Amino acid sequence: MDTPIYYSKTEFIETDTGNKVSRRATIAGPQNIILGGKTIISSGAIIRGDLRRTGPGHAVVISLGRYCLVGEGCVIRPPYKTYRGNFNYYPMKIGDHVHIGANTVVEAATIGNHVVIGKNCIIGKFTIIKDCAQVADNTVIPPNTVVPALALFSGSPGRFVEDLPESTQELVESQTKHYYTRFQPLDR
Amino acid sequence: MWPNIQYYCPCLSSANALTPPPPILASSSASFHSLHNLYFCEECDAVRCNRCVSVEVSGYYCPNCLFEVPSASVRAEKNRCARNCFSCPICRATLSVVASDPPDDGTGRPITPLNNVGEGPYLLYCNYCRWDSTEVGITFEKPTGLAGTRWLVHFVSNAYIRVVAIDLSSTAQLQKYEDSAPESLEFERLKEHFEPFLRTSSLSSSTHLLPPTSHHLHTSSATAAASAALSRDIPGISKYNPLSRSRSGRDRTANKDEMAEYKSRVEVGLFGQLGSGGDDADVELLRCTETVGEIAKLEQRWGNSWITSLRMSELRPLRIPLHSKVSKRCPACRHILIKPEQKAQSVRYKIKLAAANYLPALSVGFPQTQAAKRALGKGVEPRNVGVMLAGITNNTFRVALTNPLYDPIQVRLSPQRVTDGRGFQVSLPLTPFSIGAFAEAWEYDDDEDMFGVEDDELGLEVGRGSRDKDARGRTKNVGVLERRANVTVVGGEVNVHRSYRGQVKFNMLVSYTYRSDDPLPSEDGAGTPSRAVVKTPEVKTFSFYTVVDLGPVLSKDDSESR
Repeated sequence: MDTPIYYSKTEFIETDTGNKVSRRATIAGPQNIILGGKTIISSGAIIRGDLRRTGPGHAVVISLGRYCLVGEGCVIRPPYKTYRGNFNYYPMKIGDHVHIGANTVVEAATIGNHVVIGKNCIIGKFTIIKDCAQVADNTVIPPNTVVPALALFSGSPGRFVEDLPESTQELVESQTKHYYTRFQPLDR
Repeated sequence: MWPNIQYYCPCLSSANALTPPPPILASSSASFHSLHNLYFCEECDAVRCNRCVSVEVSGYYCPNCLFEVPSASVRAEKNRCARNCFSCPICRATLSVVASDPPDDGTGRPITPLNNVGEGPYLLYCNYCRWDSTEVGITFEKPTGLAGTRWLVHFVSNAYIRVVAIDLSSTAQLQKYEDSAPESLEFERLKEHFEPFLRTSSLSSSTHLLPPTSHHLHTSSATAAASAALSRDIPGISKYNPLSRSRSGRDRTANKDEMAEYKSRVEVGLFGQLGSGGDDADVELLRCTETVGEIAKLEQRWGNSWITSLRMSELRPLRIPLHSKVSKRCPACRHILIKPEQKAQSVRYKIKLAAANYLPALSVGFPQTQAAKRALGKGVEPRNVGVMLAGITNNTFRVALTNPLYDPIQVRLSPQRVTDGRGFQVSLPLTPFSIGAFAEAWEYDDDEDMFGVEDDELGLEVGRGSRDKDARGRTKNVGVLERRANVTVVGGEVNVHRSYRGQVKFNMLVSYTYRSDDPLPSEDGAGTPSRAVVKTPEVKTFSFYTVVDLGPVLSKDDSESR
């Protein structure tokens, strides 16, 4: 029900758009990171916005949508490869209502909307996760894998387990919104 | 996880029973589902679950390249992706096409090949277990990508694989190999042999038997014939149509005479040798085996279409099986409950009759105490909050009901009595109470800036409630505790008998009355059922069962020792 999840008011910075970013998170290259609003970056998370594509000009390295959660100790790092002899990082896009569990390492290329990724997962380089997909706890998704929409992946290597119910989108949306409202500051 | 509430679908119970099985039975879990897994048929006015709906395939797609495969080619391609999607024979991860000499990064160490840039020949490489297709002698002269690319495939000679050097179009050289398997050829022959027979029998049966079942869409000639044959051979099935039974009896004799004798392509004895090497070879292989790892696991072999070698080292990459999008129908009235959009990766639906849009959503929880709040603040997981204690008369819990309808509803909860006197008693408000209408505006407010304020208020209220209780001992725990927007929170109590151990789990009938969409406002005051509490033109009542699981009972000593 409405049990709040309390956090220490001093630990988190809240932006105008409602993003809550822990001071204990490592945000490298913040100018290359976009947060959609009402997104929570938990303590101990590492977001590598500094690993940008070589070349001049401004580059968006990591973009997160609205109502996302980056769990404690998560590593979000853009994927890289050597293409035609040039080593390069590639941007990562994460949609709205995406929850990423604690201690998960994400090197995906694209994560759709309403995606739930469990704890202790490894999401390999250039993985594409479509809308409303879910990844169970402790799953290892090898590089270049595609997780189709409304699929549950689990295991090591991550494999298709089952189709998720048709109402997953509404379910995840209400859960992520609910989580954000429950995430309340506590003065001490 | 508890506490939770699940909803009952009566499809597994027999005939008259609307009442669910007692929740203490382990088997009862099969009848209960979470609300978001259920559908609601408007025609039958009934809850449907995934177990009872009838499912139809509305489209096929490859789960890796996400290509939507037209149903015509699904059969020709043997339900697997005919493009560049292969799964590793060892670990089932997706294989990548890589060049055999990945560009050197100058450091001298081998870098992980990740793409198909470089010089041929190309091979399939597993990013997970590092298996590559040279191990079974499969390489390609050109990488994939362009539809017109032609691959040259070399199946290198060894004990079991014949030398083939075929220039094929990219439509699955591996499929070609599968198709040339003796089992496949035999199957094709069998199909060819039975085709005329199936056609005649389906024709004859369709004249008198198909009309009543013709709403089963997608019935191919083969399934039609099969159902015809089944109803012919089993008297019980054709009973509902005795006319057809007598007629089909004639058909049977006629068809029997027409059947030609089938001759198999190869002798049964030879058959095994063509595939995996035959029984003798398998025995020989097992005799020489030194470690278990040499033998392919069942998991690695059962995804294959045909018999493959027992040796791990000879497993070949598999084309990825296709997935399907399905539409779902009510089993009783055949109305569509779920109809997905055509696009494979779309998560939208043309028709989606989810039960969550009709039934009030119930969620159960325990009230928060000050102690729990303090514990949460410190980041300590309060383990014993809300745990049912044996021998205590007022274990409180709360049920929050959310109304998905655009009109207010009256809800009545009736928990079922647990027959065993030494168990537990549940007290909940038994009189009907109302839940406000769902309005988009509420959601909108929630979405924007109302949230913080509302939640603070809520926190205060919760805090105050528990403080009152602490001070004055017992206050109102049973009854409607809170009303806001389209949510009503009611409180309940559980009295657990001193000797009771186990789950506090009980069935609860939820009835709600709602204003029906059908009547016009002019009908106001017309003869309406008197049981309706609100005087609206026409109200309907719908009841459904739920099971409430409040978790295990702890004895007082257990909880104190923590």
